[in-house]
Amino acid sequence: MTVLVRLALLAAVLAVWEVAGRAANPLMAVPPSAVLPALRELLLLRSYPDLPASLLLTLREIALAYGLAVAAGLACGFALGMNRLVGRAYGPMLAALYAVPAVVWYPSLMLFFGLDAASKIAFGFLLGFFPVTLAVLAGIRQVNPQLVTVARAYGAGPVRVFASVMVPAMLFTLVGGLRTGLALSVIGVIVGEILGSKRGMGALINHAYGLLRTADYVALVLMTLVLIVGSDALASLVERRARKWSE
Amino acid sequence: MTASPRIIAIENVTKRYLTSSGPVEALHEVSLAVGEGEFCTLIGPSGCGKSTLLGMLGGLVPLDSGRVLVDGQPVTGPDPRRVATVFQDAGLFPWRTTLENVEFGLELQGVPAERRRGVATELLGPLGLRGFAGKYPRELSGGMKQRVAIGRALAIDTKILLMDEPFGALDEQTRLLMGEWLLDIWRRTKKTVIFVTHSLQEALLLSTRIAVMTARPGRIKSVLEVGMDYPRLMESGELVALRAKLWSEIREESLRAMGGRL
Ligand SMILES: Nc1ncnc2c1ncn2[C@@H]1O[C@H](COP(=O)(O)OP(=O)(O)OP(=O)(O)O)[C@@H](O)[C@H]1O
Ligand SMILES: [Mg+2]
Repeated sequence: MTVLVRLALLAAVLAVWEVAGRAANPLMAVPPSAVLPALRELLLLRSYPDLPASLLLTLREIALAYGLAVAAGLACGFALGMNRLVGRAYGPMLAALYAVPAVVWYPSLMLFFGLDAASKIAFGFLLGFFPVTLAVLAGIRQVNPQLVTVARAYGAGPVRVFASVMVPAMLFTLVGGLRTGLALSVIGVIVGEILGSKRGMGALINHAYGLLRTADYVALVLMTLVLIVGSDALASLVERRARKWSE
Repeated sequence: MTASPRIIAIENVTKRYLTSSGPVEALHEVSLAVGEGEFCTLIGPSGCGKSTLLGMLGGLVPLDSGRVLVDGQPVTGPDPRRVATVFQDAGLFPWRTTLENVEFGLELQGVPAERRRGVATELLGPLGLRGFAGKYPRELSGGMKQRVAIGRALAIDTKILLMDEPFGALDEQTRLLMGEWLLDIWRRTKKTVIFVTHSLQEALLLSTRIAVMTARPGRIKSVLEVGMDYPRLMESGELVALRAKLWSEIREESLRAMGGRL
């Protein structure tokens, strides 16, 4: 049933798009019937032969950005959450930083890391870092202190308390943060590429758009969308596993 | 009960908690000795320091002055080879099944998986949890959860069992049955039990001795010996008389804890 309702909306959107697209200036908008051939050309590597290389580069940037965001986010979150003094000193600063729209940092990231992959990785890292850190902090707050006492009474030292109580108790929140972090790292890398780069999916999008190759542009955007939705679907699968386990 | 050797000695123990509104004296020069195999109950008004005292015996709460000896040695930290605790509200790990919760202490002691599984499985029978080995705490009733918590304490087979209001959250009927059940286990295992309750009846039915504590700061007000055989009947003349005595002691302290007014 849900699927049917979903498909109905999709069909309606496509129909409106088709009608509106045909009426509009082809430089500004294209109907789905024009996108399909463009998509085929794209997948057959005729319009953009460097598509696989671009895709690979973007995926590599995402993997690096996200990996760094997770590592730094976990480290920062635990440092802030396990130590009351550190938490009280730096927690508000973190929240303030998080409130600044991340895009404002991008120009200086480009100045600092150059136009190549490094600045995209840095931007993806920046976006992914906060949700991971904040999830760790929220997770630590969720741990029932009585369970920590129980574990200590039965002989658990700090390491066992961490592994046997903290991690399982916060797992669900943590995985949620990791999922959000992944989505934002993906967005950060692609937005970074669009805002300025010569390679990667974002660069291809920029290129098509700059030359007013609107059908190609839409086809590339659709591909990127699949990438984003796909990675999030994978993360949601992991999340569901974790929920089952930690409940 | 002076015949049995002292397994627990609490000597002039004082405890102050530092709170945002200044120090709070929870215990003031408390002394109590407990013989091996006793069922000793602590009873007293809310906030008089019963949980604090158990926490000290379990090595979880540091003391300001005085000494706490278990087996003749001062307590310096948790010692799960000698002391097992059942906490005020079960404190089960929600991500562990009944069996895994019962196994917890053995797991920490590095007992091989197969052996600890055997020990825990064997315990499920007397715990009345045989069909519930794979269930999670959220799937259990209050009484079952409490029995899992007791099972977790019994699994590490210590000489001393500390029980902080283990049946406090249960209805009266379940509570009476659980009391009978615990009595049975205690008499078979010959453990030393330190038991905290607010129920006079429970204290009288189970204990070999009852220590009445004063309102905060907690001290031992008096110690009642209950030299009667088990199983006991609340209606017996001896117990009725003891109940009256116990109530008059506790009533005074509970009134003080409420500021002297009803
Ligand atoms: N961690 C703590 N920090 C500050 N004060 C505490 C702490 N733990 C206990 N107290 C205080 O010490 C006193 C004794 O507390 P305790 O929990 O030992 O009482 P109790 O006799 O077990 O009470 P109850 O019957 O309600 O369980 C109380 O006034 C309580 O507020
Ligand atoms: Mg208490």
